[in-house]
Amino acid sequence: MVRNRSLSPAARNLLAILLEAGENWSHGYALGRAAGIKSGTLYPLLIRLEGQGHLEAQWQPPSEPGRPARHAYRLSADGRALARELLRGVAPALAGKPA
Amino acid sequence: MIRLLAMALVDLAAALLPARLGHWGEAMRRETGEIAAPAEALRFAFGCLRGAIGEAMRVHGGDGAMWHGRGWVGFCAIGATGLGIAYMAIGGAPFGYPLRNLAALLIGFLAVGIVTHLPRTRLLAAGPVLLALGLFLLAASLLGVSNEGATRWISIYGLSIQPSLVLVPVLAIGFAAVRDRLSMLGVIAAAGALALQPDRAMAGALAAGLAALALVRPERKVWLALLAASAGSVATLLQPDVQPAMPFVDQILFTAFAVHPLAGLMVVAGSLLLLVPARARWGRDPGYAVFGALWLAIVLAAALGNYPTPLVGYGGSAIVGYLLSMLGLPKAIGATDGVADLPRREAEHGVLRTSIA
Repeated sequence: MVRNRSLSPAARNLLAILLEAGENWSHGYALGRAAGIKSGTLYPLLIRLEGQGHLEAQWQPPSEPGRPARHAYRLSADGRALARELLRGVAPALAGKPA
Repeated sequence: MIRLLAMALVDLAAALLPARLGHWGEAMRRETGEIAAPAEALRFAFGCLRGAIGEAMRVHGGDGAMWHGRGWVGFCAIGATGLGIAYMAIGGAPFGYPLRNLAALLIGFLAVGIVTHLPRTRLLAAGPVLLALGLFLLAASLLGVSNEGATRWISIYGLSIQPSLVLVPVLAIGFAAVRDRLSMLGVIAAAGALALQPDRAMAGALAAGLAALALVRPERKVWLALLAASAGSVATLLQPDVQPAMPFVDQILFTAFAVHPLAGLMVVAGSLLLLVPARARWGRDPGYAVFGALWLAIVLAAALGNYPTPLVGYGGSAIVGYLLSMLGLPKAIGATDGVADLPRREAEHGVLRTSIA
């Protein structure tokens, strides 16, 4: 069921940061810092976005030898379109959409 | 040390996430590992744990607010007992301690399974059962094993069991479900038993549970039961209760931090986990209100005095008692709770409300 629930400031900030990044990949910690949200809010939002097909996630090879691969994120084309609408405040919020 | 703690927390977060979100747990773990400042990594890991708990609850419950409250009691019992076993391992407890707690967990699940499948008969109705439990507690107070002036244990094959920790929770929560005369008498008998023992922790816990019940169901029988429990609690305060602190049993909410910060964190996390099932419908279903108030009081008593720390400390009675608590709770927690839902809710209610009642 889709409910008209206003977008939380955390979701708004995250979407804005991801939208601004465009096709560039971002990491979780950097995203949280840029959006000013804690990891306890960040990851549920990312999980929700990915589940709805609005977020692409991939494991990126380590930048230095010996370092582990990292999970990186960017909005999908659908996600970018939705983010633009949401940030204009005209579309139902993500929180109400089925995962 | 701080980094180690951060990684342990994020490992716990990853373990709590449902299997289909496993890659997110790994993502959290690796991201935490990339943070240079240990304190920042710890904050990030704490957040991940909070998020993982929320996700686990959401996914297990489906997209609506429907999730299984009784299932959560079992889940939290496993989690808290597991954290307690880890604490005991870090603290160097005798090998038998964690094994006995594990055995109690199995016995508790087995007992719940057996009771759930008992046939519905008049004798096994909630009232007679709860009265029998109250009288059994009274008999244990009079004939049980004494130590330092308190009589609150029974010995079975050399194993010391505290019947009040096993039976008072299900008695109080069962009374919340079926508030008839016999159930009330069972509660009053239990209050008398706890006053006789004396056991300030369990007497206080019973009074706290009934006070919560009186808030949501202010009925005559509830007030009478609360009066008896309060009188019993006052009676325990007027008597000396000077049990020495037992290692790995009492006062561990503080002493565990002296063992290792991670051990302390596990004990605190395990204790908080016990209250999670009540969070779902506190104030809406009387059983959950009693459950929350009662187990909160038991945890607080363990923090303030020489009383067993439930589930995370050594001792099987609380583990079995916690699991038996679920018998008085509804099977499922619904999103709605109006008068129109009453027939459905009654149909979903726990063993003490249907199978036995």
